[in-house]
Amino acid sequence: MSAALAPAPVAVLPERASGLWSDAWRRLRRNRASLVGAVLLVVMASLSITAPWLPGLQDPTAQDLKLSATPPAAAHWFGTDELGRDMFSRTIHGGRISLLVGVVGTLVSLLIGVAYGAIAGYRGGRIDEAMMRFVDILYSLPYIFLVILLLVFFSRSLIMLFVALGLVQWLTMARIVRGQVLSLKNQTFVEAARALGASDRRIIFQHIVPNTLGPVIVYTTLTVPAVILQEAFLSFLGLGVQPPAASWGTLVSDGARLLALFPWLVIFPGLALSTTLLCFNFLGDGLRDALDPQGRRDVS
Amino acid sequence: MDSRLRIVSVAALAALGFTSGACAPASHPAAGAAAATVATNYFGDTSPPAGQVLTFTNGAEPETTDPAKMSGQPDGRVARIMFEGLTTPDPRTLEPRPGQAYRWEMSADGLTYTFHLRPGLQWSDGTPLTARDFLWSWIRVVTPATAAKNAGMFYPINGAEAFSKDSLHDVSQLGLGAPDDSTFVVRLHSPTAYFLFLTQYYTFVPVPRHVIEKFGQRWTLPANVVSNGPFLLKHWRQSDRFEFGRNPRYWDAANVKLDRIVALSVEDVNTCTNLYKAGVIDWNTSGNIPSQFIPYMRQFADFRAGAYQGTYFYSINVTRPPLDNVWVRRALAWSVDRESIARDLLKRSREPWGRYVPSGYPGYTAPDPVGFDPKYARECLAKAGYPGGRGFRKISILFNTSEDHRRIAEAIQSMWKHELGIQVELSNQEWGSYLQACTSLQYDVARRSWIGDYLDPNTFMAMMITGDGNNRTGWSSPRYDELIHAAAREVDVPKRMAMLHDAEALLLDQSPTIPIYQYSSSELVKPYVHGLYPTALDTHPLKYVWIDHDWRRHPAPVADAGSGIR
Amino acid sequence: MFTFILRRLLLFIPTLLAIATLTFFMIRLAPGGPFQAEKDIPKAAVEQLRKQYGLDKPLGVQYLNYLRNAVQLDFGPSYKYPSRTVREIIFEAFPVSLELGAWALLLSIVIGVPIGMFAALKQNTGLDFAAMTAALAGVSIPNFVLGPVLVLSLSLSLYLLPPALWQSPASRVLPVLTLSTAYVAYIARLTRAGMLEVLRQDFIRTAFAKGLSDRVVIFKHALKLGILPVVSYLGPAAARVIMGSIVVETIFAIPGLGRHLVNGAFNRDYTLVMGVVLFYAAFLMTLNLLVDLAYTWLDPRVELA
Repeated sequence: MSAALAPAPVAVLPERASGLWSDAWRRLRRNRASLVGAVLLVVMASLSITAPWLPGLQDPTAQDLKLSATPPAAAHWFGTDELGRDMFSRTIHGGRISLLVGVVGTLVSLLIGVAYGAIAGYRGGRIDEAMMRFVDILYSLPYIFLVILLLVFFSRSLIMLFVALGLVQWLTMARIVRGQVLSLKNQTFVEAARALGASDRRIIFQHIVPNTLGPVIVYTTLTVPAVILQEAFLSFLGLGVQPPAASWGTLVSDGARLLALFPWLVIFPGLALSTTLLCFNFLGDGLRDALDPQGRRDVS
Repeated sequence: MDSRLRIVSVAALAALGFTSGACAPASHPAAGAAAATVATNYFGDTSPPAGQVLTFTNGAEPETTDPAKMSGQPDGRVARIMFEGLTTPDPRTLEPRPGQAYRWEMSADGLTYTFHLRPGLQWSDGTPLTARDFLWSWIRVVTPATAAKNAGMFYPINGAEAFSKDSLHDVSQLGLGAPDDSTFVVRLHSPTAYFLFLTQYYTFVPVPRHVIEKFGQRWTLPANVVSNGPFLLKHWRQSDRFEFGRNPRYWDAANVKLDRIVALSVEDVNTCTNLYKAGVIDWNTSGNIPSQFIPYMRQFADFRAGAYQGTYFYSINVTRPPLDNVWVRRALAWSVDRESIARDLLKRSREPWGRYVPSGYPGYTAPDPVGFDPKYARECLAKAGYPGGRGFRKISILFNTSEDHRRIAEAIQSMWKHELGIQVELSNQEWGSYLQACTSLQYDVARRSWIGDYLDPNTFMAMMITGDGNNRTGWSSPRYDELIHAAAREVDVPKRMAMLHDAEALLLDQSPTIPIYQYSSSELVKPYVHGLYPTALDTHPLKYVWIDHDWRRHPAPVADAGSGIR
Repeated sequence: MFTFILRRLLLFIPTLLAIATLTFFMIRLAPGGPFQAEKDIPKAAVEQLRKQYGLDKPLGVQYLNYLRNAVQLDFGPSYKYPSRTVREIIFEAFPVSLELGAWALLLSIVIGVPIGMFAALKQNTGLDFAAMTAALAGVSIPNFVLGPVLVLSLSLSLYLLPPALWQSPASRVLPVLTLSTAYVAYIARLTRAGMLEVLRQDFIRTAFAKGLSDRVVIFKHALKLGILPVVSYLGPAAARVIMGSIVVETIFAIPGLGRHLVNGAFNRDYTLVMGVVLFYAAFLMTLNLLVDLAYTWLDPRVELA
């Protein structure tokens, strides 16, 4: 989470960029919705991170069948689920898993996408052509099938979930980075580095990639909610995290089936999930306006 | 935020709306009421369809509609609508009644059955239906090339087992014969009390040889299919619906009341129940109501629950230590609080059950059940060498994706942790992986269930025989096998039941399986549907069903079913 | 133009071959097989079935056989539903999914484009914020929550619309609505970005300066270019709609193709899964090609390489 949200690591950037970052910060501060989103996300994230140590928060797996499916009350703010577990605690712990999956899944896609896109863009020519054709092929695969098979075949660990979701998301990232690199690679500071005898790898990862950071940050912020939603979708198919752990996706998809009987089972985790997704989207849109005022087409 | 408000208000509206179905019609919004009449004590809309049409949910899309090859409830329902066997079940008791055969005799030794077919039987295309059709159809089931899933039900017939296992190839050695067009003779290798029950089962119906030989696998498609039951298949769209019309050539066509039957293939149980409430369907078949809704449904007059021949249990892979130790298995079995699961978690939608064979088999006395006794369970675990759970490896509970399985697994995980001090993890797998793990014994403890095929304890007990394909525990007991085989040969009913009793007692003591609950059927039937009765095997012959458009002026059909089961 | 289309079509061949190979071996590696059931199927029967479907042959031979048949568009019979061929299943189910997806995309465009335009014209005002929030709310509620909420309120409480099935026009309303909301946000966002970019361009400023009415400038000039990002989004959107339709088809019991993709994988219905994946891949590639063509038609600045 911190990686996606931290203020840009200004130090690594070449001189010409620093004005851009302070401009961006100024623009972002003016955007009320983004700021509110960012603050809420920080709250949500700190609650999730500290959940196991929060005083008074009950064990999310502690059952009491006698308290099965009780509505919200003083003892259980969000009510209890059918096994008599505290929904408040389960919602907080669910956020832990959802945010983790969202952030790590995004990081996986970031890693693959940035490396792939940067290499394709920098090398250009036939290599670029071939690499981007491969991306096109993957785009045309009904990738959800790929994810299902990965989860079926390699058993359903959290790690596999990260990888599977990351694999789905890196394509767009690769396209964005490639586009950026194409326009950057003939800029003077890159030529200067080349003239000084820097290696290709050094040029790509030390000089070019940091300059693509703006769009990448924007896209990253918008990818996290997409990954969280995808995890929820997998939970709906029964391919989410293994019980008794539960992500927001698991809680919400189970709760939706009992909407008519025990509405609190879906309302609270649903609110948490939707608010988080909304915050990420606001923040992403705000960042885009701030960092990338031209507005990019390929960010969807 | 905007979205928060939206969710809360819609959910609140929805929650209100759900209960409004139960309220008096007066409180119902006028706009919708025009289209739907909502009665006080019925769940949802109660306006009958136009004409004699029955629409119901049939669960998942049937895999096949070839009666010889199918197994499974949705498939069976389709077959029973289109085909009829030698006998046909009584709509209330399921006792065999004359079907394609109008009478039959059993020889004094209980080994030979002679069936006399009705004169003038015809297939729906007008081809005469004779005893040779039965002969051909039954041989087809036990022919290995047919790959019939229920071929095992034919094993009481002389030579059938060897024939279907490809070790006997001579058809004349099978105990089947058609001495003339209207006589069908079956010879069993040992007296089988439940044989007559089998003759109404869908695997035992005749199938049209002339059509099958012409179309092969595709003979069941609406354009090709020919049948002999009360209804004909008119339309079949995959994952959507089957539509049936009357069969004018059916021998009892004059007494068939429905003109049309629509069986919807709807997998999601919430969707099934929604369709029922909205009045799109007239009958929500058993198993298609979310279990959590059952307590809520009890207040409605159109909800029916009854005993059902099925048990839900955990099977233990006895080939894996420490589960090979009988004391460990006893510890696991005696530390499951079935009562609490049924009462608190399942809200009494299921009966807690400490036995393997469900209740309700006439003449069968069940052995003492496995109970909940944490102290005894801990002693057992100590005897096995793991006092207080020390040194016990982490075991896992395998189940296929389903909310019902998951919450029970979570409850039992917690019970074992709490009572025995052992570590348990859950392994939720999708269907294909789950089946593979079960059949190849790649699990520790697995959720399973079994539904009886016929009204005899043998339908449950036979599967725990050494090496049976449904055993899936690795458990083997020569004594148990012997008891089951001896019982199968025994003609004297009380003696036979006593043997089965001893076998079940042995099984419960050795605990390769941990019984948890007994299924109950639960269905929703609109008050205007007549002739659909609760039965022990959830089998419903639809030829007796009719729609009463004047139902409000008639006594409620649930009452005339006369069952105290509700 | 012609060579462009030809080149793209030629590229279909290696792509589909790669996808077929990947899918074939991946599904075969998954544990279990098509002939397992809760009730045991006799061993002799399983062997018989395996022989019937050629599963007793070496994997390589099966692979080549499969490719040879697939070239002739013969994907074999479904293992799970043996009375039908995979091709029949696809041709029966796909039109339903296509209709569902097309309506949903259309609806999201009809809602999303005006929202995006409106937000762009009122950039950085409260109205911009409100419009975008409304659009984003749609993408922030999973469709498996939205669906039941709509069903419960509109069909089970108010009895306005059927709760499921795919029959009358009325029965299409809820599924289409449920599926479309997620895309409204994307389309609104893209339209907004596209319009903002166009509105900054010189020719638009000139048009305004020449005194043309707002309506003429916006609808005749700006919209055509501003909507370009939406057009290029339609390819990826179609892929997303497939995923969304899995949920919607399940909740509303719609006999579409999306469910076959998932259930086929769960049931290890090898032929069905392969057929559906290849079909969807070919469909998505064709769609992307059409989108590219539409793009050049709308934006004469882009040349086809």
